[in-house]
Amino acid sequence: MAHLLREKGFNAFVIVGGLAAWRKAGEALEPVPKDDLVKLPTFS
Amino acid sequence: MNDFLALIARHGYALVSAVVLAESIGLPMPAALALVTGGAAAAAGILSAPMLLLLGTVAMLLGDSLLYVLGRYMGWGLLGFLCRVSVNPETCILRSAESFYKRGKITLVIAKFIPGVNTMAPPLAGSMKMRFLQFLRLDLAGATLYVAAYLALGFLFRDFLKTIMRGFLTARHALTAVLLIALLAYVVYRVWLFRKYVVYRVVPRVQVQELAQKLASEQNGRILIVDVRSHGYYDAGTERIKGSIRLEPNNLSDELKTLPKNKDIYLYCT
Repeated sequence: MAHLLREKGFNAFVIVGGLAAWRKAGEALEPVPKDDLVKLPTFS
Repeated sequence: MNDFLALIARHGYALVSAVVLAESIGLPMPAALALVTGGAAAAAGILSAPMLLLLGTVAMLLGDSLLYVLGRYMGWGLLGFLCRVSVNPETCILRSAESFYKRGKITLVIAKFIPGVNTMAPPLAGSMKMRFLQFLRLDLAGATLYVAAYLALGFLFRDFLKTIMRGFLTARHALTAVLLIALLAYVVYRVWLFRKYVVYRVVPRVQVQELAQKLASEQNGRILIVDVRSHGYYDAGTERIKGSIRLEPNNLSDELKTLPKNKDIYLYCT
């Protein structure tokens, strides 16, 4: 995805190790807002 | 030819069922080819078409149900495992999820005919908590359609298959060469795919400590941290990097319109 963003002209980077590395380093986290927990089709 | 037909006659049902079951749980087995052969055997009166349809459908349902249950309890961990053999695992998962986005429940009916989505659909349905009876109903429709289609293909083109089989037995050496060439072509194709996706690894990377220092400095106004995890990675009470924003990978074209081009964008997933 970062490659795609760069192709579109964005100055994109990738955080090595992702969220797990961020958490392991003890950096700040926050709960994901409910609005961001978008649902896939519910199948109900 | 007679040996082959005798083998089909003796073990045809078991062979077809086993191959279909194996493919439905994600093993690289040619279920379509087994069904086409079964259809041809049915046309020759060696096997019973309704029995093949029943056994093939049941075998597929069993395999799919197993993946559904595993997907329900293992979530996207299983999807990641199934995609691991893929050249680009993230794309593999996103492609299946995107199919559910676009087509919803009907994905389960047509998934068998879509390479890359066929094995992923049942565990994805499980991880998305589809009701089991609903899953069974839709998967039954899809499995019946798939099995019937390839049995019918073999049934209708039995003479053509017979010609191929006769040619196979009379020209084994030539066919061996063809198979070797096909194998070589496949290897070349995989290498080409691998090289194609190597490009994704040249994107600049940043260590956590380096980014944290930038955030603590005066540069922080130029930094945008973006969470690109797929849906399945989200559980209730999940966390993200403080101050990051969400970008939905399955809806990238719309999401890109909201991103600023004058900032450094740092992406992360799990």
